[in-house]
Amino acid sequence: MNRPARALSQGFWTCLGCRQLVPKPPAASCLCPRCGARMHGRIDGSIMLTWALTITGALLLIPANVLPVMTVIYLGSGDPSTIVGGTLELYHNGLWGIALIVFVASVAVPVMKLVGLVLLCLIVQRRWDVSPRQAMRIYRVVNAIGRWSLLDLFMISILVALVDMGAIADVAAGAGSTAFATVVVVTMLAVRAFDPRLIWDVYEEKITAQPGLAQHKSHRENE
Amino acid sequence: MGQESWQGIHGAVSGRSGFTEPAARWKRACHQCDLLFTRAHAPVGQRLLCPRCGATLHRNMDRSVAHTAALSLSGLLLFIPSAALPLLEFSLFSFGAENTLLNGVQALFAAGYLWLASLVLFCSVLAPLGKFLLLAFISWGSAWAGMARPVARALRWYHHLQEWGMLDVYMLGILVALVKMSDLGKMTVEPGLYCFVAMMVVSSAATVSFDAETVWARLARHAKNSGESAPADTGGTQ
Repeated sequence: MNRPARALSQGFWTCLGCRQLVPKPPAASCLCPRCGARMHGRIDGSIMLTWALTITGALLLIPANVLPVMTVIYLGSGDPSTIVGGTLELYHNGLWGIALIVFVASVAVPVMKLVGLVLLCLIVQRRWDVSPRQAMRIYRVVNAIGRWSLLDLFMISILVALVDMGAIADVAAGAGSTAFATVVVVTMLAVRAFDPRLIWDVYEEKITAQPGLAQHKSHRENE
Repeated sequence: MGQESWQGIHGAVSGRSGFTEPAARWKRACHQCDLLFTRAHAPVGQRLLCPRCGATLHRNMDRSVAHTAALSLSGLLLFIPSAALPLLEFSLFSFGAENTLLNGVQALFAAGYLWLASLVLFCSVLAPLGKFLLLAFISWGSAWAGMARPVARALRWYHHLQEWGMLDVYMLGILVALVKMSDLGKMTVEPGLYCFVAMMVVSSAATVSFDAETVWARLARHAKNSGESAPADTGGTQ
């Protein structure tokens, strides 16, 4: 039976800061001898921390979408607009390309990120029967898209300085933007707190319990 | 570059013999799936991918340190005009206002959005600037044996700071603002924006060219030459 060797089961830790392989010390954690970062076999309390940050993000998504993020006043008139409202407005003005970009960055990405994080936590915790490659794909997508949801906030900060002409034209930020900024930061931290190696730990456990699965898997891996 | 090498699988997969392997043979574990490897380094110009989960384990760029030194220095130089010159100008009737990298942050601070302003400041100014400074320090400082400790600390900070630099996202924000406001007034692209775009390109190039393994190998060589107790084995990217 061909089984890949895992660092942890062979008595090694990997430093996540510099990726140095270190023989497992007797303590629960230690400092990396090479870069000095704190090391654990797996990120300490990874799933719990990811859950906490994901739930915080999900709750904050409500004020982020309900409260206005920006008010554009043009020739004395203008309403505060929420994220979805701003996107719809762009769409109705015929700027559907920009509307799509803003929609993806500020509506789809945060929701996808939260859904992805919940799925990852459940895959590890509930031992869902998902192939680890699929789970890794979710992890990588969630990791890669995270930063793009700051797009709308950067745009607001540009417009606030740029369009400042008193009664004629003015752009002001709204309370929703603070909530939205926090959602982005919290979800980025949540992805960092999640340890993808747990996905493979669960998988290892499963193939130990079901040797047939291991046979199938090692064939695939040797291809 | 771009070619993918899949070495390491022979050493990694045979688990039965894995238990009898001497511990010193293992050089690296995949940081995303914990698979163990014996062959630790990608050949120059190639990437080493994890055969199990596909994570990029090592990207060995040709002349990584020299390129990173040059790119981080040009990034620092480009930062000056990008921050000092206006990026966009918006004019309506006879009124006009300019946008620089910092006055958006100032306006948000003035309006009382402290958290949002700090976040924008950090992601679009401080993190990219810090990244260039750290990379310059790492690539120049790793040439001297005496700098090993501060360079190691800088490497750790770089690792944390790297994902918070968002020049590319800010650039897209500028484009959205440009299109969104163009039917209200007249939007003009100012010279600062060209410097900003150049800085963004240099920043991504510096990220890609930087290879921490090469720097660690350099530090290990210094330690060996000066006869100090060498830090744990880093393999040797020559």
